[in-house]
Amino acid sequence: MASEPSKSSIFPRTDWAELGKAADTDVVRLDRLIRLYWQPLKIFLMATFPSLKNQADTLLQDFAEDKLIKEGWLRRADQSRGRFRDFLKTSLRNFVLDHLNRVEVKNPPISLEDLEQDPPQPDNLSEEFDLAWARTVLAETLRRMEADCKNPAEDQPRRSYIWEMFRIRLLEPVFNDAAQPSYDQLIEQFGLKSPTDASNTLLSAKRIFKAHLSKVIKEYAGQDAATATEIQALEDFLVRLSKRG
Amino acid sequence: MQDAKKPTVTGGRTVMSDFDSSAAVFKSRAKKLATLMATGEERAKLWRPDELAAMFRHQMSAPMLVDLGTFDPRTATRLRTLSEAQGLLLKSFADLFHHPAPPIELLELIKDFAKANLDHPESGLPDEIATTLYYTSIAAALIRLDAHISQLPDADLQCGLRWTMEQAWLDDKTKELLAKALEKISGGQKGTVP
Repeated sequence: MASEPSKSSIFPRTDWAELGKAADTDVVRLDRLIRLYWQPLKIFLMATFPSLKNQADTLLQDFAEDKLIKEGWLRRADQSRGRFRDFLKTSLRNFVLDHLNRVEVKNPPISLEDLEQDPPQPDNLSEEFDLAWARTVLAETLRRMEADCKNPAEDQPRRSYIWEMFRIRLLEPVFNDAAQPSYDQLIEQFGLKSPTDASNTLLSAKRIFKAHLSKVIKEYAGQDAATATEIQALEDFLVRLSKRG
Repeated sequence: MQDAKKPTVTGGRTVMSDFDSSAAVFKSRAKKLATLMATGEERAKLWRPDELAAMFRHQMSAPMLVDLGTFDPRTATRLRTLSEAQGLLLKSFADLFHHPAPPIELLELIKDFAKANLDHPESGLPDEIATTLYYTSIAAALIRLDAHISQLPDADLQCGLRWTMEQAWLDDKTKELLAKALEKISGGQKGTVP
């Protein structure tokens, strides 16, 4: 099964009405949902069950068929029980554990020493998945922002300058530990006419980033309030994780 | 992840470089991702304190029409008329402040521009730069034209002028203007240039 994002969303909007009907509807719609969630789920599965790394695709396929299509699993996706992504990972974990139990019945028990690892702890499971999810959100946000800024139909070359300034002023220092270019370097490189011009260019970049981040998240979180909550939740999670080193 | 190519400037035109943002995100730890997420927050400062000197130099050398031309069309037209009359069309903020007889309307426009930036929560212009423009325009009116373009009480004005003069990144000529203004409103007590 292909593991490509959909054309308009890497995560489908958590449309509970759609999900409720999903088990009764055609396989094509379900296929879209499954493909959209494929990558983060695969990362979660491989991080949670490293010994099953080589079977990840097969297990996900089985999960999709058994849970999402045949068993009316989507009907049980209930918004009141929490975020849809949490429901996804819990279901996948339970599915894989069930699979392991069935395998154990067929084969002699394996001791923990033979496994060479401890059973995964709940906190780690959640963090691996959430980190993969956050990475996917941010990568998609930056991809869309760059494409937007470099779009020939937009105000060029100013729009491209916005991306470039964002890249050298913010992205490169954050991700490559590059030194921030000096203010004088910026005005020379981009022909900035005044500090207001420089500031407006950077502010525009931040706003475009924020707009795309909101859009990416809204595509799976749904409504504006839920989007704002999800943005805060992801940020809080990353801050918490970073404090632990 | 591939190393990003350094951008080059060719004939004043910026050559765009490659940056694999997806690879950068997926290889980075939570701390860098958290920093990226915080990027969208409006309250995050755009500029470092050590950049104020360069920014102020740039501001003073910037053509007035670039910043003041963002006012409403009528004001922009008036600005151009005044500038042309004084031969200041292509001249900078510094040239206006140190002109022997700057048009008072231009000084008032700069004061209003500075105040608007200070009052606007989403203004990217550092408060320090906006504050300096504000008090320098008042000082220029006071010294060059013997005119008061501010309704600030003298005590507040003294406080503002003194604060501005103390900024290490300020040029000497502007400090001197501010010192003279401070002396004038302080009843002859000399304002000391730090």
